[in-house]
Amino acid sequence: MAFDFFRKISRAPTNPRAVARPREFDVADLYRGPVGGADGEPAPPQLDEKLRQAYFWIVNKAIISPHYDIEYNDGPAQTFTVGDSRRTLTLPSGQSYSSFVLLPLLTFATRRKCLFVGGPGRGKTASAVLMGVLAGAPVRDVRRAMQHGHPQMTIADLLGNPLPADLVGAQDMESIRIAWRKWLGMRVKIVDEYNRIPTRTQSALLTLMGDNYAEVLNQIYECPESAWYLTANDEQGGGTYDVIEALRDRIDVVVQALAFNTRFLDELLVRIEDDVRPEDMVPPELVFTDVEVDRMGEAIRAVEVPHDVRRRLEFFASQFELAEMAGGQFEYMTKDTARLSGIAWHELVAADNGRDRMKDLGCQTLNGLSVRNLMTLLVFAKALAWFRGNREVELEDVRQVLPFVLHDKLRPDPDAPFFALPENAAYRSDRVSWLRRLFDLANDDYARLDLDRNDAVGEMAAQFAQGLDGVSERETRARLVRIEKLIGERVKGRKLYGHLYDDLLKLKYLHQRYTNYLAWLRAQA
Amino acid sequence: MISPAFAAALDAARHGINARVRDARHRHPGFDAGALRVFLEHAVDPVVAAAAGADPARVQAVAGAACDIALELVGRALVGPAARARTVAAVWREVLPRLAGLVAAHPETVPALLTNAAIHLDGLAGVRTAEWIATLAALAPRLATLDELRRVGQVAAWRAGAAHYRAGALAAADALPPALALAACAAPPAASWPELRAQLAADPWWGGADAGHEVGGFTGFGGPFAQPPQVRAFGAGFVVRAGERCHLLLADARGAVLLGAGADEFGQSVPGDCAFSVDGATLRVGARRIDLDLPADGLRVCASGASLALASPYTHRVRVLPREARG
Repeated sequence: MAFDFFRKISRAPTNPRAVARPREFDVADLYRGPVGGADGEPAPPQLDEKLRQAYFWIVNKAIISPHYDIEYNDGPAQTFTVGDSRRTLTLPSGQSYSSFVLLPLLTFATRRKCLFVGGPGRGKTASAVLMGVLAGAPVRDVRRAMQHGHPQMTIADLLGNPLPADLVGAQDMESIRIAWRKWLGMRVKIVDEYNRIPTRTQSALLTLMGDNYAEVLNQIYECPESAWYLTANDEQGGGTYDVIEALRDRIDVVVQALAFNTRFLDELLVRIEDDVRPEDMVPPELVFTDVEVDRMGEAIRAVEVPHDVRRRLEFFASQFELAEMAGGQFEYMTKDTARLSGIAWHELVAADNGRDRMKDLGCQTLNGLSVRNLMTLLVFAKALAWFRGNREVELEDVRQVLPFVLHDKLRPDPDAPFFALPENAAYRSDRVSWLRRLFDLANDDYARLDLDRNDAVGEMAAQFAQGLDGVSERETRARLVRIEKLIGERVKGRKLYGHLYDDLLKLKYLHQRYTNYLAWLRAQA
Repeated sequence: MISPAFAAALDAARHGINARVRDARHRHPGFDAGALRVFLEHAVDPVVAAAAGADPARVQAVAGAACDIALELVGRALVGPAARARTVAAVWREVLPRLAGLVAAHPETVPALLTNAAIHLDGLAGVRTAEWIATLAALAPRLATLDELRRVGQVAAWRAGAAHYRAGALAAADALPPALALAACAAPPAASWPELRAQLAADPWWGGADAGHEVGGFTGFGGPFAQPPQVRAFGAGFVVRAGERCHLLLADARGAVLLGAGADEFGQSVPGDCAFSVDGATLRVGARRIDLDLPADGLRVCASGASLALASPYTHRVRVLPREARG
């Protein structure tokens, strides 16, 4: 008989919460209870419930990961100060999650790309295989389709070979048929130790990951939409070969396999004694069809990001791109300008004076955020909110998911004064905590500036968003004057910080739009 | 000693049952093997033996299904010395053997159905589970189908005090043969089910006692209220708030139940306060005279639907009774 321990899944609702429900009592509830078989087959759960059941099955039965590092609180949390370093141990009062399981699952639901990092033997590959099985593929196929990076890996190893007979007999390139590798058609693609793949083959992988097609000898294979899982032993992507930056940028989230807790050794013993592997035991009711994954994606995209959450995210993201001394023209005062010029970072920093480098969050990073980073962050914040049964993103969802999205994207400047403080020393090595701290500091600043209630730029943008139809010349001129006045107020005796830089550029944008509109109005007259 | 039929069934399925026990041990770290042995011997065995008498060919199926349920119950500590509730074991001993024919025909369903119901009713303070068991045991020989069992169980649950199932139970009784519906409602066989049903539907306190019911109690003594409760009207019942916890109180002639409620429901409720006077040990609410054993100081009378609720700062209990006097 099957080993039922691995077949049990958590009973719904896995995230019970107080919801306004009609007070109608169904007498059939009398026979619902812990003993199965009483009332026939229950209705299939909602997809978010099913994903939560999959999550709890993985954390409770499959991957021994007792790390609840994504913390939610429903009220005051109990905290303890531990050790000479006086670190805080928090006992969350709400349902909290293990990032090592949750982020890969959200990657599965959104069909994105996840990188597992951590030392060997910590469950990175096993987690990836489980995701493949959740997508409905047999374990054997998932294992066979897994690509193992190695220094001799060629493009043909990765994508496929031209048929030898065609190579000899073909009169033109179109006649050469390609034996595409089977894994290209999988809905879950796994590349083990991707940092051992040679650079040239990485470029082919980049095309595959970025554009979702493979090309060999002018022949194209269009891949289905799929979730990607990559593993690397080195957090920075180093290995036998350097990972090309564009490839690293294609990865949406990075999760770290945390250390095994020896208090759970008995669970390992069970697996040895009963000769079971969790990936062979995935309950069939937790397997998702392609249609279900499509529907999950639609439902996740439909989750709303409220204005106040969006504004705080904008404020956070605006902190990092400004490099005042990098550009002569206002628009080019960015870290990206400095990077493209090849100027040494320390020279740029030395020239930057007058700002409070401890207070300015932008001074902690070497780069800013890309559009892709922000889009990924929004997708995963929505996915986390949806996973928790919400239809609106909360600020805490953004806060929790942000470190895993920006893990390899927002690079810290280890020479920044912030990291020199003894209390911040741990942030040099713990990037997840640093990124979360960075977001908290940005939020503190946002609250200090009272931007929820006092956002003149936001009001002007909202007014502009209402459209220009029917706006008179007089009103247009008045708005232009208001913009100029506001810019004058903003730049008066103040240092330039990232959020102010973005505000000024936005005001310049609005000014230009009104100027063009004014010219058009005059032409009509 | 267990019956030869059960012993033979266990022996035949030994390998599979041992594997299931091993699995249960893994799933439930506190699994009590002793409790399992006792439950199999004293609760499951009578059912298997009775089923063997009804249909010997079904013994193996009955024993297998019963063992699965027993493992689940022991694993969850719903039976055995650590169990708070006693109804499950009583159902197996007193009801299921009387339903041998149905158990033999539906071994996966009938024991699970009644076991879940017993667990459910055990969780409802104020429900008289012994009465529910007695009703089912008395009517068991008359139950020919699974559907009849299901419906009679529902009616019996309501009549044992699960007041919130009143409407569902009446609807369930409608689909029973009239004689069985009357029997489930403890009405004389000569009575008319349509007439009885109309009276029951029209007046929730029909056939009930004038004194009503008392619910609640101090948490220190195992009750649900940490503080003397406040009562407000909500729908046809009441919302009770004691400290930070809120409860929904529903009552009729057959009993009163307290169910979990949210603070939002307390917010949606209305005061429902009634004018009253106290004359010695008598409370007067309009024409209604009620014997009172509480001080008049701080007393509150709340009316909702056909019911009144009495609350006082001097007690952790709420008394709920019909708005109009009964004979």
